[in-house]
Amino acid sequence: MALELIENALVFSFPDVHPEAKVSIQFVRTLRIPDDESSYSLPPGLGTFPVRHVDDFSERVPMRWKEHGGVMLPMYQSEAMWLRFEPHAVAGHGGDPYPFAIKIATGKRSAVTGDEWSNDLRQGDYCIVPKQPWLDGYVIDKENVRQFVAATLGMGFTAEEQITGKAEVGGIQVEVMPMKREVFERRFPKREVKTSGILRSAMGMKHSLSSGPSYATMDSAIFGSAIGAPAPDMGLAAGGRMKQTVYADPYDFEDWDRSHHGRCFVHLANSLAWRAITQQEAPPTPVTAAEYTRHGFPWFEYYDDGRALEGTKTLQGLKSVMQLGFQKGFSILPENERPEFKSDQIIVLKHKSKDEVREGRWA
Amino acid sequence: MNFGPYVRRAREERLASGGAFSLRSLSGRLGIEHTYLSKIEREELPPPSEEVIVKLAAELGEDPDVLLALGGKVSRDLLEIIKTHPKAFALLLRELRGQPDTTIDRLARRVRDGKW
Repeated sequence: MALELIENALVFSFPDVHPEAKVSIQFVRTLRIPDDESSYSLPPGLGTFPVRHVDDFSERVPMRWKEHGGVMLPMYQSEAMWLRFEPHAVAGHGGDPYPFAIKIATGKRSAVTGDEWSNDLRQGDYCIVPKQPWLDGYVIDKENVRQFVAATLGMGFTAEEQITGKAEVGGIQVEVMPMKREVFERRFPKREVKTSGILRSAMGMKHSLSSGPSYATMDSAIFGSAIGAPAPDMGLAAGGRMKQTVYADPYDFEDWDRSHHGRCFVHLANSLAWRAITQQEAPPTPVTAAEYTRHGFPWFEYYDDGRALEGTKTLQGLKSVMQLGFQKGFSILPENERPEFKSDQIIVLKHKSKDEVREGRWA
Repeated sequence: MNFGPYVRRAREERLASGGAFSLRSLSGRLGIEHTYLSKIEREELPPPSEEVIVKLAAELGEDPDVLLALGGKVSRDLLEIIKTHPKAFALLLRELRGQPDTTIDRLARRVRDGKW
């Protein structure tokens, strides 16, 4: 197994399983949807977070980060993120991507079940790629997730703190396992047809919209005294509700090659700590959901066939950032304005099966 | 620096340090004539075969890939790798042309996993 960091993406490859068993995982910047119990469509991708090797800054990162190894990226307090999974197409198999089981945890608690981290697969605690192109949050039922939203570890907002009562780990943990080669070759026999991926981005979005001083102001207020001190860890908390299905494994549990796996610890640095560590500014924060929508840019919905994961009581019981803020008497959200959608602003994406015939416009 | 002068300088540095790196001693260990090695150093003859360059690198304590590159050759194992994805590797190498060493190092380096 090899894990490389290429253009801000984690690229896991398993040449000892199959020469083209390779998948990349990107951490995508996005809008934070309102945290008001409505269920929103999928927000766009607004570029990737910059990701760096922890080892490149070993003199300035906390000791725990060095022990964990892996990579780091910057987030502002209450900034949102989603993860993009891109398996590489296998030549000679009609462009079928090599399948992977991918585990995602925050604070070493599964984003799919809320269970404690383990290095092995457990039934129902992973996403299947390519069936699952994105993961935007914690699975709370068959049709919804709660958006991943950054929060400082220790303030009581993260999923880890809600589930365990402790603020010890933070960050994101990723583990990848490939399908067994013989299973791949049996399930995806050689053929010529090609398939294509699905885009989910705000094409043509103006740069003038990419600015959100409210987030930076929030970080300064909270971490103003932290510059020069060990970097405060960020974790992920549960934000607003979003329409996203996380699909159950359509294959057999034994199809996954659990003897080959790769994992990575992704540390989250708040924007001021990022500047102190890297001497670089974190990218400007995205616009608010309301402002983005006022400019007529698209939102998305994605549908595919297949059984959905239902979520667990642990994750269903997570309180959102807004709910927790109300309980605590202070909010970490700089705004929570509800967008006003126009009827044609939501683009519905549907995964086409290999043999599906497309119907065009007739009139 | 070209292949011949580079080898000559490396050999003479080791000779000055007291090692057995005269033309005769070194060429004997490489299994070639000392006049042949001398002419290569003076650029009167082109660099030798890949096999001799790799042996020479081992004797001089030099990186074989560096000596092969100076000699205008690519090692067999690298050629085999390039042949697996010729277009992709050609594109990659052209993209990397002019990049600083740190960028290239970072591209080649893997993400380290530690204790969780």
